[in-house]
Amino acid sequence: MFFYVIRRLLYMIPTLLGVAFLTFLLFTIFGEDPVRQALGLHASEEAIVALRAKWGLDQSFAKQFYDFLVQILTFDYGESFSTGEKLSDIFCGGVLVSLSLTAPPFVFGTLFNIVIALFISYFRGKSLDKISTFLFVVSMSISYLVYIIVLQYLLAYRFGWFPIQGFEPGFSSISYLMLPWFIIGLVSMGPDIRLFRTIFLDQVKSDYIRTARAKGASEPRVLFVHLLKNAMIPILTNTVIAIPFLITGAFVMERYFALPGIGDITITAINEGDFPIIKAMTVMSAVLYSCFNLLTDVLYALVDPRVKLS
Amino acid sequence: MKFKRQIMFLCLIPFLNNCTWFSSGEKNSSGQNFFKAEDNKVVLHQARSADAKTLDPQAQFDSISGLFVRSLYDTLLDYHYLKRPYELIPVLLEEMPEISEDKKTLTFKLKKGIHFSDDPCFEGGKGRELVTDDVLYTIKRFADINVNAMSWFLLSDSVVGLDDMREKTKKILNLDYDKEQVKGLEKIDSYTFKIHLIEPNPLALYSLAASSLSIIPKEAVTKYGDDFSRHPVGTGAFYLKEYRKKQTMTFVKNENYFMHYPKDGELGDKENGFLDDAGKKLPLASEVQLDYIPESQPEMLKFKNGELAWVALDRDNFQQMAFFDKSGEIHLKEDLANDFKIYTEPGLVTSYIVFNMKDNIAQNKNLRKAIAHAIDFKKKIELLSNGRGLTLGTIVPLSIGGSEKDIGNYGIPFDLEKARDYMKKSGYGDKPLQLVMTIGGTTTMYQNLYEFLRDSLDKIGIDLKPDYKTWPSYLKSTQIGDFQMATAAWTADYPDPENFYQLLFSENTRGSAFKNDEYDKLYDEMRFMQNSPERFEIIKKMAQILQEEVPVIFDSTPLVSGLVQNWLTNFKRNIMVDYPFKYLSVSQKSEKTVAQK
Repeated sequence: MFFYVIRRLLYMIPTLLGVAFLTFLLFTIFGEDPVRQALGLHASEEAIVALRAKWGLDQSFAKQFYDFLVQILTFDYGESFSTGEKLSDIFCGGVLVSLSLTAPPFVFGTLFNIVIALFISYFRGKSLDKISTFLFVVSMSISYLVYIIVLQYLLAYRFGWFPIQGFEPGFSSISYLMLPWFIIGLVSMGPDIRLFRTIFLDQVKSDYIRTARAKGASEPRVLFVHLLKNAMIPILTNTVIAIPFLITGAFVMERYFALPGIGDITITAINEGDFPIIKAMTVMSAVLYSCFNLLTDVLYALVDPRVKLS
Repeated sequence: MKFKRQIMFLCLIPFLNNCTWFSSGEKNSSGQNFFKAEDNKVVLHQARSADAKTLDPQAQFDSISGLFVRSLYDTLLDYHYLKRPYELIPVLLEEMPEISEDKKTLTFKLKKGIHFSDDPCFEGGKGRELVTDDVLYTIKRFADINVNAMSWFLLSDSVVGLDDMREKTKKILNLDYDKEQVKGLEKIDSYTFKIHLIEPNPLALYSLAASSLSIIPKEAVTKYGDDFSRHPVGTGAFYLKEYRKKQTMTFVKNENYFMHYPKDGELGDKENGFLDDAGKKLPLASEVQLDYIPESQPEMLKFKNGELAWVALDRDNFQQMAFFDKSGEIHLKEDLANDFKIYTEPGLVTSYIVFNMKDNIAQNKNLRKAIAHAIDFKKKIELLSNGRGLTLGTIVPLSIGGSEKDIGNYGIPFDLEKARDYMKKSGYGDKPLQLVMTIGGTTTMYQNLYEFLRDSLDKIGIDLKPDYKTWPSYLKSTQIGDFQMATAAWTADYPDPENFYQLLFSENTRGSAFKNDEYDKLYDEMRFMQNSPERFEIIKKMAQILQEEVPVIFDSTPLVSGLVQNWLTNFKRNIMVDYPFKYLSVSQKSEKTVAQK
C-alpha cells in the first residue's frame, strides 16, 4: 500500500506539470490581453508598457512559466491583477464559504438519499418505484438554474421563508445558506438516488442477501447491515471523488445568492480577465482531483479486503 | 409488512404563507418588507454588482470604484445634482475658479474648515483641515504613472510641467512629490493656488470633477502604502465603517460634512418635491449599506420586497413592469404604482458604427452612404431595447449641449431606395459583396445586434459576416485598425460635445484613420469654447462634414430607466452623479420608513 501511494504520487507530478503547462500556454498564447482589459478604452501605449512590466508580462515565455511553477510549488500564486490582493488571502476566505455551502447538503443529502434509495429499491417494480423513477428523471431534466430562479422566487420572495440572498460571517450565515442547501439537496436527489438504487438492486440479487433472509434476518437488518455494507464500496468511490468539487464551489449558486465563495471569485476573475486567479484555480482543481482520485483508490482497498493495490 | 409499518414517511410540512423562520425584516399588510426608523436614523440599502477594485482615487477609473470614492472623498468641483443640462459647481472651493484674461491661469480658493475624517494617520488621530498642499499633492500623484495608468488622459497636455513630471515617474519609483516643482501648480497660500495651463482649456475644469482627482491627505498614503487602496481617508459625506468584500459594505454619515442640499434646481423640481430639503446639511441618510448582488433577478426581488432603494430596469424586467403609452412615454404598470415610481433619463452614451477608412472597400463613400440608409435604427431600438432608446442625428447624446437639439439633425435617414441608389453608385450594386462587422462582445445581446444588421444589409445585397471579439481583443483590433467595420460606443467623460467630436479628430481616430483637414480645423476652433451660438455654428459644420463623409453611422443613445421606492425622497437620476447617497432620504409622511438592521 505504502509503495503504491508513493508511486501514485510520483505519477501525479508529470500529470500536474502537463496541466500547468497547458494552462499557462492557453492563457499566455491564446488568452486575452489582461493589460488592455484592465486599462480599457483610454489605454495609452505608455500605460500598456508600464502595466505589462509591473505584472511581469514583458518577461520571456520560459521565465514566466518558471515563475508560475515556483508559485505552484510554494502555494503562493501572487496577487490579483484586479485588486492587488494576495491570492492566498482571497482563496482562504472563499474556500471556507464554499465548503459551508456545499458540505452540509452533501453529507446530509448523501445519507438521506441512501435511505430513500434503500426504501425505493425495497419496493422495486411496484408503483412507488415507478413513480419515483419518473419524478427523478423529470427532476434531472430540469436545469439547475431553473431550480435556483424558481425556488428563490417562490420560497424567498413569494412566501418569505428565507432571505432572498446575502451572506454574513459566522453562525449568522446559516439563515442565508438554508435555501441554497435545500436547492442543492433537492437537485442532488435525482442523480444520487438513481445511482444508489442501481447499486442496491445489483446487490439485492446476491446470494448473501438470499442467505440472510433464509436465516430469518429482519428486512431492516438485511438492508442496513448486509446490503448497505457491500453497496458502500461503489457509493464511497462516487462520493469521495465528488469532494474536490465541494471545495471549488457551486458557481451558479454562489452568484445568485451572492455567497463569497470560490465559485463566485472564479466567475468574477473570468469576467475581469484576472489571470492569476484563473490559473491558480485551474491548477488547484487538478491537484485536488488527482489527490482525491488517489484517496478513493486507497479507501477502496481499505474498505474491501478483496481489493489489493499493486 | 412489518417493515412497511416500521418505516414512517416524512410528511410535508404544511405550507404556511408569510412564515418567516429564516428571513429577516418585518412585513407590512401588503406583504412587503420595509425598514423602521429608529431615533430618526435613515439607513439606505442599495445594491452593487461588483467589488471596488481599489479605493485609491488616483488608481481607479471603473464605475464601482468610483461609486465608493465619490461617497468617501470630494473633488474640487462636481455636478449640480438637480440642474440640467449638467453644470459644474464648487465643492471644496469657495467659488468657481477665476479664469485669467488669456484663459491660461485658473485661480482657486479653497473653503476653510473642511476636515479629513479622523484617522490614526493624523497626529492624535484627529482629521486635519484640507489645505492647498493636499490639492497639489493629489494632482502630482495623479500624474504618477506608477499610481495612475487609466485616467491620466484627463490632464495630459494640459498643465504646464505636469507631463514632464509624469515622464520622470516612468524612471523613478516612489518619486518624492514634495521635491518636484511643477511650474503649472503654484501655491499662493494655504487656501489659494493657481493652475497654469499650456493653452486655454475650459474643459480642464471637468477633469477636476472626476473621481480620480478626489483630494487625499499625504499622511494616509505614507502610513498605509499599498494598503491605502483599502483604507480610505477623505473629506466625503460618509466614511467607511465596514469593508466586507463580496458582502455588505457600510458607509456611515460624516457628522462634520460641509455641504448642504441645493437650494435651486431646474424647472419643475420644486413641484416634484426635489427642493423640500433645500439648504439642509448633508448627508441626509445616517448610513448606507451596499449589498453585493451580482445577478439582476435577486436584485429585482429584493427591490420588490422593499429591501433596496432603487433598481435599474433591464430588458426583461422592463417588459414585466412598465409599458409605453401611445405618445411613447414610459409608465409603470398600474398594480406597481402604489409602491414604486419610474424614472427615465437619456443616457450619456453614443452608439455608432465606425468604418476603417484604410480598408479598400470601406473607403468607398457611396457604399458607406448606402449602408447608412439601409439601417432602420428606430426599429432596432424597438426590437432590441424594448423601445428604450433615442435615435441620434449627431454624434452627441441629447442631454448634452451641442446635440441635435441645438444644431439640428444631421443623421442619415432610413431609406431603402436611396440605399439601393447609393449601392449602384458605389459600383457594388450588381456584384455580391461581403463585409465583416467587428463586434465588441459575444453575449446574446451582441448576437441579436449582428442579426439585425445582417438582415438590414441583406436587403441591399450585402452579405454581412460577424467577427465577435472579447473586449480586450476588440480594443486591440479597433486601436490598430484591424477591422473593416465595427460597432462602437462612447460614454461621456464629461458633458461637453468636444468629448464626442474628438473621436473623429485625426489625432484621436487611431484605428479608423479618418482624416479631414476641414473637420480638424473646426475641431481645434471649437474644442475650448464655451457653449454658445458661435460654437454651435462650428459644431453644425462639423456635423455636416460627418454627414457627407460618413466615417461613422450614428446609432442611438439609451433611455436609462429604473424604479424607485415611493418612500425614497430626493432621487433624481443624474448620470454624472451616479450614486447620490448624500442627497437621499426617506419620506416622513409615508407609512413605510427605513430601519436599522
